Amino acid sequence: MELPMLIMVGALLILTLCSIFSFKYRDLGFYGAIVAIILASSSITLSAPHLIYYTAFVFAIGIINLASLKVIKSVIQGVDYGLVGLMVLVTLYIFTTQNLAMILAAFVLVSVPTYILVMVREGGANVEVGIKYITFMVLATVLFLIGAITLAYTKNAFNGLLYILGYVMLVLGLSIEVGVAPLHEWVPDVFTSADPIPMSIIASLAKIVPFIIALRILISTSNSLTVSITLFTAVLAAISMFTGNIGALTSKEHARILAYSTVANMGYVLACAVVIIKPEFFYFALTGALLMLFANAMGKIGFFNAIKGEGAFSPTMYLLAFSFIGLPPLMGFWGKLFILFSLVKAEYIWLVALMVLNSAISIPYYLRLARELGVGWKANLTNFICVAVVIITLITFLPDWFFRGMEVIAQALSIAI
Amino acid sequence: MNEWLVFLLLFLAPVVSSIPIVLAYKSKEWTEKLPYLSVFGIFVSVVMSLYVFFVLPENQQYTYAWIPEFGINIVLITDYLSRYMGVITAVIAFFIAVYGLDYMKGDYRPSWYWFFFNLFTASMLVVVYSDNLFLLFVGWEGLGAASWGLIGHWFRDDDNITYVGKEGRKVGPLELSWPPSFGGWRAISTIRFGDVPMFLAVAAIWVLSPTLNISEIEWGTLFETIGAAGTIILFLCLLMGLFTKSAQVPFSEWLMTAMTGPTTVSALLHSATMVAAGAFVFIKLTWYIEPWTLHGVHGLEYIYLLVLFIGLLSGLYGALAGSGMLERKVLLAASTMSSIGLMFASAAASFWAGHLAVLVAFWYMAVHAFAKASLFLVSGHLIHATHSRFLSGGLEFGKKMMTPFIVTIVATTFLVGIPPLTAYWVKSAMDEVMEHLFHEVGFLPLILLVLTSVVYSGIMAKFLTLNFIKGEKPHHEHTEGGGLMKLGYALMVSVLFLLLYLIFTSEETHEFVAAGALVKHGTITLSFTVGILAFLAYIFALYKPQISALTKLGTFFSDRMYLPFVNDYIMPKIGFFVSHLVQDYGNRGIDGLFNTMVVPGLFGGISRGIRSIQTGYLSRYVNIVLGLVMFILIIAVVGAWL
Repeated sequence: MELPMLIMVGALLILTLCSIFSFKYRDLGFYGAIVAIILASSSITLSAPHLIYYTAFVFAIGIINLASLKVIKSVIQGVDYGLVGLMVLVTLYIFTTQNLAMILAAFVLVSVPTYILVMVREGGANVEVGIKYITFMVLATVLFLIGAITLAYTKNAFNGLLYILGYVMLVLGLSIEVGVAPLHEWVPDVFTSADPIPMSIIASLAKIVPFIIALRILISTSNSLTVSITLFTAVLAAISMFTGNIGALTSKEHARILAYSTVANMGYVLACAVVIIKPEFFYFALTGALLMLFANAMGKIGFFNAIKGEGAFSPTMYLLAFSFIGLPPLMGFWGKLFILFSLVKAEYIWLVALMVLNSAISIPYYLRLARELGVGWKANLTNFICVAVVIITLITFLPDWFFRGMEVIAQALSIAI
Repeated sequence: MNEWLVFLLLFLAPVVSSIPIVLAYKSKEWTEKLPYLSVFGIFVSVVMSLYVFFVLPENQQYTYAWIPEFGINIVLITDYLSRYMGVITAVIAFFIAVYGLDYMKGDYRPSWYWFFFNLFTASMLVVVYSDNLFLLFVGWEGLGAASWGLIGHWFRDDDNITYVGKEGRKVGPLELSWPPSFGGWRAISTIRFGDVPMFLAVAAIWVLSPTLNISEIEWGTLFETIGAAGTIILFLCLLMGLFTKSAQVPFSEWLMTAMTGPTTVSALLHSATMVAAGAFVFIKLTWYIEPWTLHGVHGLEYIYLLVLFIGLLSGLYGALAGSGMLERKVLLAASTMSSIGLMFASAAASFWAGHLAVLVAFWYMAVHAFAKASLFLVSGHLIHATHSRFLSGGLEFGKKMMTPFIVTIVATTFLVGIPPLTAYWVKSAMDEVMEHLFHEVGFLPLILLVLTSVVYSGIMAKFLTLNFIKGEKPHHEHTEGGGLMKLGYALMVSVLFLLLYLIFTSEETHEFVAAGALVKHGTITLSFTVGILAFLAYIFALYKPQISALTKLGTFFSDRMYLPFVNDYIMPKIGFFVSHLVQDYGNRGIDGLFNTMVVPGLFGGISRGIRSIQTGYLSRYVNIVLGLVMFILIIAVVGAWL
């Protein structure tokens, strides 16, 4: 076994052991997860230096998620750090393998910890939410896996009907998993009744891997039928944008607004999947998708923590809102810009128009959110987390370096099937 | 030193140094001290611009990635034009800022003033050094925003001394008197009117050309691809931005009422930023388009002809309007418009006269900048000293105000083209350029230029004499103090001597010196004759600044030939007409679409639909999702099968 792989295995071992012993020493889970993430990040950077920016972002999201978990005293405290650590490890790992089995395993590994996390609350377990969430996740996983395997099969033995079926199943599975309308029914309920802190993790970290996997599988199996079937994805993306934004616009509860905002944002990211018909411009879509996912993650972490902490420092709330709306030079702007640019290249002009229109619809509710959650400065964990995510949102002030990194990654996306 | 750092300091020092005063806006103690920091920020820019001038290699391009995927980068260039213009901008802004320390003392919102003043300077520096049209446009918009902030600085409209126009002067339905808030609005509305087409032009170039770098665009190829009509439309869009910003006819009105801002703002606005920006960008574009090599391109000649005559007309209009003005700053504003017109005209003449014409336009801009800035600063000091914005002050007053008196004599004589003072050499070359157009365009340009020069010389003399020699005795005199103000304009005017020296010593301008020769081929040159005419006009106006027989004509001129009607009457009428049209015929439809029926109905319906799903019952959700999944799968299978 090579050194990076050994480090990775070491990280997993540390994570597991620390989670186990955290029943006795609670803080051990936290430190173990941090050590594991650091080890895994260095392992990825050693084996694939071109992934450094991606790794850095995931690392940052992971650390912030772990820190935010400190706010609640859950009954499984200690183990929850281990679960988040596992998700971070999988998210870090996802670009480095070409093996379909490993990739599908990664999908499951990043999904299952959220089943437990979603139930976390202070002094008990949120069983009702858990059941709702798990029901849909199981359905999503099944659809996704069958779709992926069907697609892989058609790659070697081409069959048009099977390809279409596989494609649709994969996209439907993905849609249920991340909450794309019209399959988003679980999202508003779970977002509002679960505790904000685990929600901030599910709405940020857990969204990255499913999209990357779906994009990698779709791009590896694309053929002459792809051009016509992407229309399905485009329509789904458009429905999701409208459902999310109109739903958020007419909601009052903060968590519910964020739930619908997730539905809308997942629509934007899903739109990137149509660009696989123009592989020469796909790196624009990939840059856009990842920036959008990171911007979404930062915003959701900030807002959910603000809900938990009953308000956060007002300027940070506004900056996060501006990022969601898509004002330069914040990360949300670059995400949207690159997605729009790639859609123009893919000649999906109507989708571009709808996306711009949707960005406009979203302005009032994000500003409302920022106004209602914004309070004066206090030196507490919530505010530190909000400042940290705002700084990360501003890091792509000049996005070129990130884009260059993505260009390299986009060349090695396809999976060995 | 690293160039990257140089440029960063050059552009950001003024802005960053004015942030503390913004943050401390509530504290009177701090807002009295922090202006020094803002001025220091501009001083840093001066040092950096000098570093660029003396140390960095000429004609070097510096590229820093911004959004390279879309061909939009931070591209800076140290060509002849930017090196000089950068120093001019920074130095003038610095001198004005020093003056402003005194002039703005006790103002009611210093934070606002200093922030926008420094933003103004920084924006102009971006325009000057940028090679990329998009970056240039960023600076361009900064100029627009800052000018709005500064012209309307005294937004309370509570002091008549800040107004423009005589109170109670009514022509038809309009009162020709404007408060600062209205002045700010007129500026921003006019400029926006031009910026939008200009932005479209930049976008068109972005689509048509592989690069947005002015020095690298293949202009000839670009014009040939879009044909004569395309070239004309592209230029018209671009020129809309330049003409509105440079206040050429018929967009000149905002400049006159821009005098509602603090005098320092007027000085900066008129010399090295804003109005100069339009002319500068035209000069820069022409420098790289090299239209004299593109005579084969259809349509280009019409454009340059248009600019030539708009420039000359603005020149004459401004000079004539100025001859009727009785307000210190508005007189200077009209004369500025005239000068900027000549810069446009001269640069446009390069189509026939070649590279020299562009150089003439640029040097005229430089000389004009320092002279006009000095005059504005003097008039600001006079407004403080006499508490009046109207021309006033006799010889007795002049003797008490010796420094501004001398500065005015130097600035006016050096500016109007009296031999052998600085502007004479530049103007001589301009005469020669216009004379050169005889074969292609005729004598009209030369005639217009000479007329403008003579009237212009007269109004400058009028400014001098009605302020210091023959004007009415001021009602109020406060002649002490103002040390920093005096220092500001004394420094400013002294640069004119340096420019004279540069004209004689630098390699590029030796043709100016040749053009200004007294005798050529045994006859007295045209340039010298025009110079003498300007001198005579100056002396005449000095002796007789106001001619009572021509009062009616003067009033017509001081009403700016009723051009305010375009801004304040015709344009609003068009607006009202459209809004009435919309109200009477389109309103029900628009209201129905956006406010009462269609869009709200759709939103309401969709929102109700979305919310009606969320009952909280898992079985219902599972039904919906499973139903949808099955339905979509069946559709997909049927679709694929068909």
